[in-house]
Amino acid sequence: MSFYVSQGLKPWVIQRVSAVYIVLFILYALVSLYSSETIAYATWINWLYTPFNTVVVGIFLIALLLHAWIGMRDVVLDYINNSVKRILILSILISVLLGCGLWVFKILLLSVAS
Amino acid sequence: MGIVSFVHRITGVLLFLVFPFIIYLFSLSVESQESFNSARQILNQPLALLAQIILLWAIAHHFFAGIRFLLIDAEIGVEKSRARLSAWLVIIAEVFTLLAIACVVSL
Repeated sequence: MSFYVSQGLKPWVIQRVSAVYIVLFILYALVSLYSSETIAYATWINWLYTPFNTVVVGIFLIALLLHAWIGMRDVVLDYINNSVKRILILSILISVLLGCGLWVFKILLLSVAS
Repeated sequence: MGIVSFVHRITGVLLFLVFPFIIYLFSLSVESQESFNSARQILNQPLALLAQIILLWAIAHHFFAGIRFLLIDAEIGVEKSRARLSAWLVIIAEVFTLLAIACVVSL
C-alpha cells in the first residue's frame, strides 16, 4: 500500500472504530442508568465512580474527541483552501477539543481522589 | 439524498459546538448535591427542553446517516436508486426514533 493511501486510511478507520465504540457506550450507559424515576445525585455519583464505569466513560471521551476531530478536520479541508487559514482554524479546533478532554479528565480523576 | 449527507455534516458540527456546554453541565452534576440540582433546573427550562429535543434529533440523524455511509463504504446501496432509498430509510428511522423518545419521555 502506498504511503499516501495509508495516510488517508488511518483517520478513516479511526473514525469508524470510534463511532462503533460511541454507539456501544451510549447503549451501555442507557441500559445501566435506566430507571423509571429520575436519577438522584447519589445514584449518579455511584454509577460514575464505579471504576469500570469511570474507565468506560474515559474511553468514550477519547473516542468522541477522535471522532469529532476527524469530522471537523474533514469539514475544514473541504471548505477552506488557504493553507494559513487552515492551520489557524485547525489549531483552534484542536485546542477546543483538547481543552474539553482535559476538563472531563479532571472531573473523572480529581473527584475520585477526593 | 444529498440533503441527508449535508444534514449529517451539519449535525456533526452542531454536536461539536454544543460539546463544551454539555461538559459544563456534566461538571455541575458531579460537584455537589446543590450544583447537581442547579444542572437539573437548567435542563428543565423550556428553552433547554427544546434544545434537548433538537440535540437528540441531531444525534439520531447523525447516527442513522452515519450507518448509511458505512454501508456505502461496504459497497452496499451505491447505485443511485438504492442510495435514494437508503436516504429515505434514514429519515424514517430518525422520525421513528424521535417519536419513540417522545413516548418514553412523556411516560
